[in-house]
Amino acid sequence: MGALSLSQFIDLVVGGLAIGCVYSLIALGFAMIMRATNIIHFAQGEVMMLGCMCGLTSLWLLPALPLPVVIAVGMASSGLIAVAMELAVYRTLRRRRVPIMNIITATVGMSILCINAARIIWGSEPLRFPELFATSAYEFGGVRISPQLFWIMVMGVAIMGALQLFLKHTPTGLAMQAVAQDQEAAQLMGANLTRMMAYTFAISGMMAGAAGIMLGSMFFAFFEMGFITGVKGFVAATLGGLGSIAGAMLGGILFGLIETFSTVFLSSAYKDGIGMILLIGILLVLPSGLVGLWQKRR
Amino acid sequence: MSTAAPGECLLEARGVTRRFGGLVAVDAVDLAVRRGSVHGLIGPNGAGKTTLLNLIAGVHRVGSGLLRFAAQDITRDSTAKRARAGIRRTFQNLKLFGEMTALENAAIGLHAQTHGGFFDAVFSTPRHRREERSIADRSMAALHFVGLAGLAQARADSLAYGHRRLLEIARAIVARPALLLLDEPAAGLNVTEAAHVSDLIARIRDEGTTVVLVEHHMDVVMRVSDEITVLNYGRRLAHGTPAQIQEHPAVIEAYLGRAAETDRAQA
Amino acid sequence: MAKAQVTASSDRGAHRRGSVHGAALLVVAALIALPWVEPDKFALHVISLIAIASIAAMGLQVLLGYSGQLSIGQAAFYGIGAYTSAFLTAKLGVPFPLALIGAGVAAAIASLLMVPITRLTGAYLAVATLGFSIIVYLFIKNEEWLTGGSYGFIGIPRAELFGYVLRDPRSSYYLNVGVAAIVYFVFARIEGSRFARAINAIRQDADAARASGIRVTLLKSECFVIAAFVAGLAGSLYAHEVRYLAPNDFTFWKSIEILIMVVIGGVGSLAGAILGAAVVVGLPEYLRAIGDYRMLVFGAILIATMLFGEGGLAALVATLGRRLAVAMRLVPKLPASRKVAQ
Repeated sequence: MGALSLSQFIDLVVGGLAIGCVYSLIALGFAMIMRATNIIHFAQGEVMMLGCMCGLTSLWLLPALPLPVVIAVGMASSGLIAVAMELAVYRTLRRRRVPIMNIITATVGMSILCINAARIIWGSEPLRFPELFATSAYEFGGVRISPQLFWIMVMGVAIMGALQLFLKHTPTGLAMQAVAQDQEAAQLMGANLTRMMAYTFAISGMMAGAAGIMLGSMFFAFFEMGFITGVKGFVAATLGGLGSIAGAMLGGILFGLIETFSTVFLSSAYKDGIGMILLIGILLVLPSGLVGLWQKRR
Repeated sequence: MSTAAPGECLLEARGVTRRFGGLVAVDAVDLAVRRGSVHGLIGPNGAGKTTLLNLIAGVHRVGSGLLRFAAQDITRDSTAKRARAGIRRTFQNLKLFGEMTALENAAIGLHAQTHGGFFDAVFSTPRHRREERSIADRSMAALHFVGLAGLAQARADSLAYGHRRLLEIARAIVARPALLLLDEPAAGLNVTEAAHVSDLIARIRDEGTTVVLVEHHMDVVMRVSDEITVLNYGRRLAHGTPAQIQEHPAVIEAYLGRAAETDRAQA
Repeated sequence: MAKAQVTASSDRGAHRRGSVHGAALLVVAALIALPWVEPDKFALHVISLIAIASIAAMGLQVLLGYSGQLSIGQAAFYGIGAYTSAFLTAKLGVPFPLALIGAGVAAAIASLLMVPITRLTGAYLAVATLGFSIIVYLFIKNEEWLTGGSYGFIGIPRAELFGYVLRDPRSSYYLNVGVAAIVYFVFARIEGSRFARAINAIRQDADAARASGIRVTLLKSECFVIAAFVAGLAGSLYAHEVRYLAPNDFTFWKSIEILIMVVIGGVGSLAGAILGAAVVVGLPEYLRAIGDYRMLVFGAILIATMLFGEGGLAALVATLGRRLAVAMRLVPKLPASRKVAQ
């Protein structure tokens, strides 16, 4: 294993950051839902997949659709699907105060349902996205970056930035944060719990949908794409510190870089294994993630 | 279970401190619990009583300070290890095994005193049969002791509140622990039930178990404690017999002062 | 014989347990007789598969139903058992009975890797088990020299007991059903024991269990080892029943299938695990129309069970059975049980 050339290094960094943005968006969804409901939403990856599929379908129906619209369609679909899951199933289970194990099992069931519904609707073959980006590389001061990865990073950062603005500077966003911190107090202040929960799922869903389209355009779309990526999104969220929004973003980028650079040392056949080992390691050694570590040092 | 002689200090806390974030819940508290006594732990709300109890039980790690039990340093020991060494407890918010019967709940208290495992159960070894019989007898005896013998086969979550409190105690005493930590055992009980608990605590002491009692019901504490330690704002405020504590000016001030604060706040 | 017993002395408990075991013995008798009554090869093969699956499901029942640990990684141990047994018999010529035990032992040893994970609870534990099973899957898929990788492991010999090769479906039927019955009765034996009480306590309130001196992590690990061992046994039986292994049989989906069996059958019920296995494995074989929609249906049933009736099939069967027995005056109508306090 010789030293990396500069362009190889840049490629790895860009690739890592791009996939990191995808992981961050999914991780955000996990974090938000965890904060609000204390459950790990097993079906989050499937929400991502369905957003991707819906976006792709919109492209089939209207091939001239510009990229931002495709993403909007994907985000809207996945947002709606996530809300449907919450209203149809999760809310009922929470109201009944069933044991947490049952809710987790229900999310697993939801995941199975979505994956197989997708397989029936869209088939089991991987589906390619049409060319959405310019084909010639962008040049920045002698460094060449694929436009696709460039725009994915830009969009990822933009969406995450918009989310931060929303959460910190709009009444709804602040209400959502209040509900996540203390349900009773928030309700006493007038927050409508059902609506806030629905918004939480909607926004997590939208993040996932955006991630899905990005991922689909980077590789391809298929019915099982949500599974392993969903798990990786969870790894990213845990790395950052489960329940922390900032942690999810940080964890996603970091994990994207770790995973991409690991292919230098490891055969790509075991690439997915990196995430799993990292996951187990974090859960055992640093369960509150990087954010927890940061807070302890204060 | 322990080797300290009667009258000697069974449990000792020296300079025990515990912080939660910026709040100092327990501040350099000293505590000496004599073997064979009922040691009351009182103080206004937020004084740190339950935290101190949790520190003794091993639920929280001590920030600084020392904990000694029967002349052994237990400061770093886990909850289960302390339980096996002879420190048992009840919980303020009742942590019964709701799906199990009262008898089974009590039987859990004897888990650490027995050894039969998976294979013993499968092959019904002599050890298994012997132990199960012994567990059944001793659990039943514990239920008798607290007055729940008639409800042995009732599911724990179907019991009335007062009975649940008694069951929690039964589970904690079935193994005849050297030290029993009671966290508000009379909470929510009416006068009759509270008196029953007082008597129960006295009988537990008479059987040889040392008791640390955190309680808000003043009649229970004053009636059954041999000595009392008072905490306020995480610090030790006073220590003495019930009579002494009732007359102690600082203690009165602490309680009255708090009451005045609440009055002012509500005005 | 008035034997002092902590558990099973309540009227309802004894009745229920007695009737379940009675029913179990009846079922076993029926199963023994079946091949002579209805020797259809396909049916026997399906029941063999159901028996094998139920072994893995019963293992998960100990984990999930008894000790409250949601493991979605059992396929890893199932796979380790399968490939170990295949390797031992096909490549090393080890006799089948030893390979069977060896498969269980290999899976059990592998589960020791999970011991650190048993500190975790709830969804964190679940995801950790998932991660573990993905790693095992990758290993199976990539280490071709050992497992045949994606090409599969072929040429697995038939099971052979004391020199007698189990050539026809009927003999292997007896082997598979026999092992399943043994596993069932072993697990049924621990009911009401100190061990069962302790892991039950851990499931309901681990902190309270700790406060009573129970070594929580140790017992949780023990459950993992037990579940892994029987999953390994199941894997070995599977390997010698279908005689061909591919990594795709041991993915996350297999773990989920096992979970579905336990949930549909009824979490906490040993007999339920078998019922669940019968549904998950047996139904698709006979309802080809379901075919592609199999997992979709199961996913929906999983959600429905969580929403509407945790007791699963076992509770359903028990209720129906009781109603039937009351109607037929076999059993006195017992007073309504005390309302469970909310």
